[in-house]
Amino acid sequence: MKRLKFQKAKCIGCQLCAQICSAKKEGVICPSKARIDIETSYDDGKLVYHDNYCILCGICEKNCPTGAIKMGDYIEVDPALCTACGICVEKCPKHVVKIREEVAVICDTCKGDPNCVKVCPQHALTFE
Amino acid sequence: MTMTGYQNNVLRVDLSAGKSSAEPLRMDFAEKYIGQKGLAIRYLYEELKPGIDALGPENKLLFTTGPFTGTGVPCSGKLSVAAKSPATGTINDCSIGGHTALKIKYAGYDMLIFEGKAAEPSIVVIDDDKVTIEPAGELWGKGAHVAESMLQKRFGKDFGFLVIGPAGENLVTMACINSDYYRQAGRGGIGAVMGSKNLKAVCVRGTGSVKVANIDTFSEKLISYLQENVLLDDNTYVFDTGTTAFLEACNDGGILPKRNFSDTTDENWTQYNGEVMLSKLAGKRGCGSCGLGCGNFIKWEDAIVEGPEYESIAVAGPNADVSDPYAILKYNEVADDMGLDTISAGDVIIWAMEMTEKGIHDFGIRFGEAEKMREYLGLIARREGVGADLALGVKKASEKFGGTDFAMHCKGLEYPQYEPRGSWGMSMAYAVSDRGACHMRAYAPNEEVFAASIPPYTSEGKGEMVYGLAEYNAVKFSLCICDFWATLNYDIMADLMTEVTGKEWTADDMAAVGRRVINIARAFNQREGFNRKDDTVPKRIVKEALKSGPAAGQVIPEEAFNDMLDQYYSVMCWDKNGMMPQDLIDSLL
Repeated sequence: MKRLKFQKAKCIGCQLCAQICSAKKEGVICPSKARIDIETSYDDGKLVYHDNYCILCGICEKNCPTGAIKMGDYIEVDPALCTACGICVEKCPKHVVKIREEVAVICDTCKGDPNCVKVCPQHALTFE
Repeated sequence: MTMTGYQNNVLRVDLSAGKSSAEPLRMDFAEKYIGQKGLAIRYLYEELKPGIDALGPENKLLFTTGPFTGTGVPCSGKLSVAAKSPATGTINDCSIGGHTALKIKYAGYDMLIFEGKAAEPSIVVIDDDKVTIEPAGELWGKGAHVAESMLQKRFGKDFGFLVIGPAGENLVTMACINSDYYRQAGRGGIGAVMGSKNLKAVCVRGTGSVKVANIDTFSEKLISYLQENVLLDDNTYVFDTGTTAFLEACNDGGILPKRNFSDTTDENWTQYNGEVMLSKLAGKRGCGSCGLGCGNFIKWEDAIVEGPEYESIAVAGPNADVSDPYAILKYNEVADDMGLDTISAGDVIIWAMEMTEKGIHDFGIRFGEAEKMREYLGLIARREGVGADLALGVKKASEKFGGTDFAMHCKGLEYPQYEPRGSWGMSMAYAVSDRGACHMRAYAPNEEVFAASIPPYTSEGKGEMVYGLAEYNAVKFSLCICDFWATLNYDIMADLMTEVTGKEWTADDMAAVGRRVINIARAFNQREGFNRKDDTVPKRIVKEALKSGPAAGQVIPEEAFNDMLDQYYSVMCWDKNGMMPQDLIDSLL
């Protein structure tokens, strides 16, 4: 199974990954609604990396009480089964699952062809 | 018509009244001037009365985004900061990198306008549509880095900050505005305008969205322009070296200034070049939506900078006769923290070095005194001791103490670090720039020295050359695209504008915007009384021949300089006195 991989040494913190994610998935450019959250900031003379992205660990699927989350080569959420209980949000180790409009919103790696990887200018994000 | 890409929303903060309100963007202005530089100047032309005190409450401070801001268009992360300049009395628009432009746009605003003056030192906090004005408290008097750190601890990393240092608070007309710690809107005393409003910091968080006309075609074009045009070797050098690469090019081309522009080229340049600086690389960081990542995060002992940029290295290095890389980096860091423009503050100190060495006036500092140079930054920022005189800037200090022949400025804005005698077009580019001596309005060395496509030591053809460069930059900076996307052309600009705004734009439209932006800036300055008498070149450039390097023997004859001005005015359809006819001004409004 291919997964997103992130090499922080290559990241320039441009947030193009979150911008293209929201453009493709939400129809507007809005990093706060993206399914990936990678950015950098300076803090007391240090360059700090924040690297929240789906690693396809499957914890959300295992903990979903209604079977709404299925993981094959990528994750799919069945909105008919999802009760927006928020357990997946709570359990996600990378803090990238959100509940919006009563449905869990999770990265599906653009069904195995992730746009964040296509846009990443320094190849900090790869899919392998 | 309404164009997508904009929020159609301007936040106006009246600091005197302690109130803020949102209003629709003047879309009629946006259609003619797009965003950022052009849009900000058009607003200021409309809203500022001629002759106002740039440090008075009548001046307005504008933070302006553009239609591309926040969309992910590559290299569109910059923010325009504009006001009437207290250094020159002209219009002044600066560009600051980092991530704050995106946060303003996602908070729902195309532009922030600050007017009036707060009764006490204050900060303004913008959290999406919630706006508060709060006392600056203990932030006032702090260095810009310390102040930003305090703000970050209080508000968190999701906020962006625009902060001034002591220089801005003390209305030093070389004061800058900092953001993301190491990025600056540097020139023309823009930080003093912020200080004059008792505004220590603007803090912004935005969680909203930006819409474009057709998200599907736009997304595909974004990826293809990024991967197939931005990430070409012509542009990616900035990731590898940043602007430190210009050191070698300028030294080899005879335009690296030495000892207050008394000569060029420096045999010691390899002691402080990019290779040396980058040996202490601690990380890389670009602006929001950047593809290139020019920011080199450098730590050398206790000196921490993002950069260093060519300008800062050249002024604190060869132009001060200093070769110690640590000293150059530390100068850069201290200037940033004091909230001083590294170029102008450096130029006034190297001018003082020459004044002392020539025995005209003893400023207590000589060439090569690196430690003293950075101590003087604090004195200037706080207007203490000798710093009170140097805080006047090169123009006013030379009028008071002498040394006007080697006072390197135009209209009161100190010279950038490109020696014009090795690139004659640059002398005219500095002279006709809308804010005094600025290298970002028309970058002549690219044609005359680096690409060597146009002979450097002649006035011939320079009117057209400088106009072409200026037109391209004027529209590029109105779109909010960074200078480092060097392969950007009018066709790409028009294509992206069409995708983002939903209105058809052509390459000719882009050129027309560029010309309009140059003209509206000139119209603002003309209204303030500027004309040919102010489009000047320092005596040194027209009287003293260079002694060393590839441009040795070069001096720009006054008649050649005047010929270049005549050509430029002719291209612009201005008269011999550099004045615009009224019908041209009317067509801009």
